[in-house]
Amino acid sequence: MKKKALSLILTTAMAASLLTGCGSTSTKDTSESSSSETKETSAEESKEVEKIKIFVPTGGKADDIEEVMAAVNEITVPEIGVEVEFKAYEFGQWFQQYSLFLSGTEDVDILANYGGYLNAVSQGAAYDMTDLIQEYGQDIIEREGEYLKSGEIDGRQYAVPIYAGYSWTMGMIYRKDIVDELGLTEAAEKATKLEDWEPILAAVKEAYPDMTPYVLNNGTTAPNFKYGTWDDLGNFYGVLMDPTSDKEVTNVFESDQYAHLCSVMHDWYNKGYCDKDIQTQTDSFTVLTKNDAAFCTLGQADFNTAFYQSTTCNKPMGVTLFGDQVARTYNNVCYTIMSNTEHPEAAMKFLNLWMSNKDVGTLISYGIEGKHYVLDENGMGKYPDGVDAGSSTYHLGSNISNINRILWETENPDYPELLVEHNSNDKKSIALGFSFDTANVTNEITQLDNVCSKYQAGLETGTLDPEQYLPEFISALKDAGLDKVIAEKQAQLDAFLAQ
Amino acid sequence: MSKSNAFVKLKKFLPFYVMALPGIIYFFINSYIPMGGLILAFEKYTVKGGIFGSQKVGLSNFKFLFSSADAWLMTRNTIVYNLIFIILGTVVSIVVAYLLHELKGNLPRKLYQTTILFPSLLSIIIVSYLVNAVLAGDTGFINNNILIPMGLEPISFYSESKYWPFILVFVHLWQMTGTNCILYLANMSAIDPGLYEAASLDGASRWHTFIHITIPCLIPTIITLTILAVGKIFNSDFGLFYQVPMNSGALINVTQTIDTYVYRGLMNTANMGMSAAACFYQSVVGFILVMITNHLVKKISKENAMF
Repeated sequence: MKKKALSLILTTAMAASLLTGCGSTSTKDTSESSSSETKETSAEESKEVEKIKIFVPTGGKADDIEEVMAAVNEITVPEIGVEVEFKAYEFGQWFQQYSLFLSGTEDVDILANYGGYLNAVSQGAAYDMTDLIQEYGQDIIEREGEYLKSGEIDGRQYAVPIYAGYSWTMGMIYRKDIVDELGLTEAAEKATKLEDWEPILAAVKEAYPDMTPYVLNNGTTAPNFKYGTWDDLGNFYGVLMDPTSDKEVTNVFESDQYAHLCSVMHDWYNKGYCDKDIQTQTDSFTVLTKNDAAFCTLGQADFNTAFYQSTTCNKPMGVTLFGDQVARTYNNVCYTIMSNTEHPEAAMKFLNLWMSNKDVGTLISYGIEGKHYVLDENGMGKYPDGVDAGSSTYHLGSNISNINRILWETENPDYPELLVEHNSNDKKSIALGFSFDTANVTNEITQLDNVCSKYQAGLETGTLDPEQYLPEFISALKDAGLDKVIAEKQAQLDAFLAQ
Repeated sequence: MSKSNAFVKLKKFLPFYVMALPGIIYFFINSYIPMGGLILAFEKYTVKGGIFGSQKVGLSNFKFLFSSADAWLMTRNTIVYNLIFIILGTVVSIVVAYLLHELKGNLPRKLYQTTILFPSLLSIIIVSYLVNAVLAGDTGFINNNILIPMGLEPISFYSESKYWPFILVFVHLWQMTGTNCILYLANMSAIDPGLYEAASLDGASRWHTFIHITIPCLIPTIITLTILAVGKIFNSDFGLFYQVPMNSGALINVTQTIDTYVYRGLMNTANMGMSAAACFYQSVVGFILVMITNHLVKKISKENAMF
């Protein structure tokens, strides 16, 4: 009996301590949050400063983010009465958590979107900023011009696309030093069709037996022909083969061009220009090139690609475009205001300032001058002495406008002028600003995505013989409802063009 | 009368209830409260509407699971792999547990057990790269160190689906046997040694004692674990079927399960309603299967049923 009583006491004590344990932390939490709330309200009363939160992904460093934001707020508070708080996530983590951010459970006002804003809009997570942007976003409107449309759906503005290179096409990205050495410089520059590269790859394979002549750009995360000369209108299901003139949405997988690309790849695969396991390649082109393990890849290419790739790969890189650069349907990176925000005006004011104020843009991208970066003799940013990308404590990189900041030393000094020139003068897709609403065809998209994961990588890497598998792929797509999706897309595009 | 009886009963078992309280609270918070979210399966989720206020769309979220041409394929794969895992997993775990149990000396036993347990501590991503190191076409161990020196044609494993049922079963067993055999091992050490002594006096061989003493004593555990596993027969180890084959399209016929289908289909659209519908469907079927299995067990031998 005694024993029993003792055990009872012990268990009750244990349970009690457990409960009090939980209880005490929760009270602490609430007291903390309530105190911060009171702080906020008192600040609002005195200076009417609104506080907003922004979530962005970064491939750089964000250790000193609070210090940098304090400096940003020294500009934003007097200018627009807004205090900002940035939260930066590493890219891998970002993509895992992005859906969670969209679900509206996080305390965030502005969200970066990598991979388009359609999901944000279809889930109702994006604030309709049509009126807001007219009122508080004049600098954005002026800077973006026609490209602002790539944040619209049905004439309503839901996102602010970043100001970056809009026009691009498919291109071959290759090691320039190698073609120079093999005396193939001119041949590479003139090889504007995929099959033209065959002799070059053959020469590379012979001269550099340890190097894989052709690899995938992003490992298996994106299909080989993702960045085509066609306009994919948001996904692969229904494209404009010639984005500047076509109005008819067609099936890219049935086009002669696609079949031709697949058969060239299959030929290369058989000739050993690709790795036998190209279908499951895990490293990106950049990583492989840095280690002298790859010669070339297909990718999204524009006027700046050669320069950009040269600095990221640390090798002299060349690019040959497979056609003219064309501005596409939408930009992948944009900022949305969360639909459940309490400070939509403040968020818009801040986006506007970020787009137009070079000091804010530079601070957010590179941190505080003297501490996180210094200017070289050409006025371009670089790491302070003794600091590099690894040991830097702040180098966010993310921005809303690629020209509203100082240039980094690795960048093309003429980049801002070239960017504006290309964005204003390049050909534009007739579907620029069109966005495909998949709500009516979600079931079909689910099935199509599954069909693609079965065949697309195999065909586009040349692992599968297109003679046999391309017809199989096409008929599987039709069974999964591709025609219905294309019809839906055509209807939406017609409505868009009629506007 | 019955009321005071219940009160006496409650008083008698109160310490046990108090002991169970943390567990009950844990389950309540982690398993029961989130069940409210199942309503997502029947609505078109929007941030503004929230979990409970979004537009109700009936069963249309479930449609995508059944309208696919792959519906049969993925259901077949999920169930057949799970059946193989349940049967082979149980057999291998018991055999390994028995071997460990029969080992004399603490040190070797601990050493072996830790070695067998180790793979289950590895993240599936690491496992997928280990498998890749063995199977890769150009650099893999099998091709470079076995097939080519023997003068055989190298095999590109990631585009030949016929090998993968074996590879996946092997990887699963390699990874999970360590944890699964712990329970059996614990059970075996609880068997009365007197039984073994009596049997050996009667001239029973090791094999006989294994069949007639060890196995019968393990039956309740085997049944409990099997019923639990049957409840998850519609779920699959996503990492094993997606990461380990490196998401290779050529292998989809033998690697597509319900979970990978849902992931591949919804990864790009992040549709909350449809993902919730898929989980809801898996849970309901699992629940029904657990009830059926338990009922069957009850019919055959009542004392071994779980409830």
